[in-house]
Amino acid sequence: MIGAALPLLLVAGWEIAARTALVSPRYFPPPTVIAAMLGRLLTAGEFWGDALTTLARLAVAFLVAALAGVPLGLGMGLWRPLRRALEPAMAMLYPLPKVALLPLFLILLGVGEGAFVFTAAVTAFFQIATSTAGGAATIDPRLVEAGRNYGARGIALFRKVILPAALPAVLTGLRLGLGLALITVIAVEFVAAKSGLGHLVFRYWQMLLTGEMYAAFLLIGLMGLGATRGLRALQRRALAWQEWRH
Amino acid sequence: MIPLILPALVLGAWEIASATGLLRPVFFPRPSTIATLLVAQIADGTLLGQLGLTLARLAVAFVLAAVPGVVVGLAMGMSRRTREGLDPLFALIYPIPSVLFLPLVSFALRAEEVAVAVTAAFTSFFIVAYTTMTGVQQLDRTVLEAARHFGARGPRLFLTVLLPGTLPAIFTGLRLGLGYTLIVVVAVEMVGAQRGLGAQLWLSWQILRVEEMYVALVTVAALGAALTWGVERLRRRLIPWAQDIGEVGA
Repeated sequence: MIGAALPLLLVAGWEIAARTALVSPRYFPPPTVIAAMLGRLLTAGEFWGDALTTLARLAVAFLVAALAGVPLGLGMGLWRPLRRALEPAMAMLYPLPKVALLPLFLILLGVGEGAFVFTAAVTAFFQIATSTAGGAATIDPRLVEAGRNYGARGIALFRKVILPAALPAVLTGLRLGLGLALITVIAVEFVAAKSGLGHLVFRYWQMLLTGEMYAAFLLIGLMGLGATRGLRALQRRALAWQEWRH
Repeated sequence: MIPLILPALVLGAWEIASATGLLRPVFFPRPSTIATLLVAQIADGTLLGQLGLTLARLAVAFVLAAVPGVVVGLAMGMSRRTREGLDPLFALIYPIPSVLFLPLVSFALRAEEVAVAVTAAFTSFFIVAYTTMTGVQQLDRTVLEAARHFGARGPRLFLTVLLPGTLPAIFTGLRLGLGYTLIVVVAVEMVGAQRGLGAQLWLSWQILRVEEMYVALVTVAALGAALTWGVERLRRRLIPWAQDIGEVGA
């Protein structure tokens, strides 16, 4: 109950302020107008086209990042020489805001999808590899010992002991990586691309179509909410044996 | 020594490749050319000007995110009603990428500089708040009980038990928030500023002065690395007893 109170109050306050021109309705149209726009947006093709574009970019970027990041992270976590060799480079590049690499990738790959997707993939890759490496490096050695004592070797040891033990860290890395990839895709669209939800908001902003802008905003929030809640549920299911404190 | 071999090899190969024209020097100028320009830009003060501007935006945005973030996070951790009151609203806004707030914020606050800082503060606020909240929730109940039995109440309980116990989480939140703020400041500068490292990066690419772009890129990378290093040093000094708790999500 109490959870609905604050949003309702805010929306009501906004409606009144906009209707009485306390805030400029041109920049802050009343929520009822935004709701009407929301309906129009959902029935028009434009929004769905851009949403699909964003989702496709996100999916490719995330897949590339996961396919490269998880094995590399596991390798770094489990095999010390690899960690020694790569850790300095990773530590140097990890804090670099990857959006800053966009111009470089635009030069390397040309202005187009490749550069947009790659920028997002690189962002997610570092998160996934770092989280996975951390998880794999801190596996309880007693678990591995016990597995060995029961005769698990090579692939069996990896599949039955190491992978499940590293899984929480891997999944956390994937979840954070997906979030970062989404942010980067949207930012890149906002800056450079000519399509996608990021560019949709940019377009509405430039044309001062504020009603549409807020409606698109709300939809992006709902999509993000759905994605994070969904992943969290998935993580809980996959890690049913883990204790969840929150 | 080994860690230096890989970067040195890459730079050496790059130098040779662009000197011999194997790489197009228009896009990939020789590392020595970039280094010369870097030194020149440091010497004439232009780079420090850009860096200073970016740092100032970063600092303002970080403070705007950190102070309310810690306060709201503590409140949400301690009071269930606050948590339930704010959570639905936060959960909806949190996943919206910060850059998108730029239009909204620039309508509300006409001053461009303020708009940049506020935009960059948005998501970091949620990161700080949620990490702090998790820290309060994960406090050892036994310790709280013990403190109550020994008569700690109200402000005293807060200052001697709750706050120290939550410090590691607050610190993690601030570290993540700072990294995030840097991303958004650079991104927003790329979209909507005329000066600052992100602007130099983007504008010099657009007019194909790639040497300047690489100089800005190197500076941003160094800034990120320096911040990470500084925060780690600070953590060891301020809360030497605690491990960094790592990422927690909302």
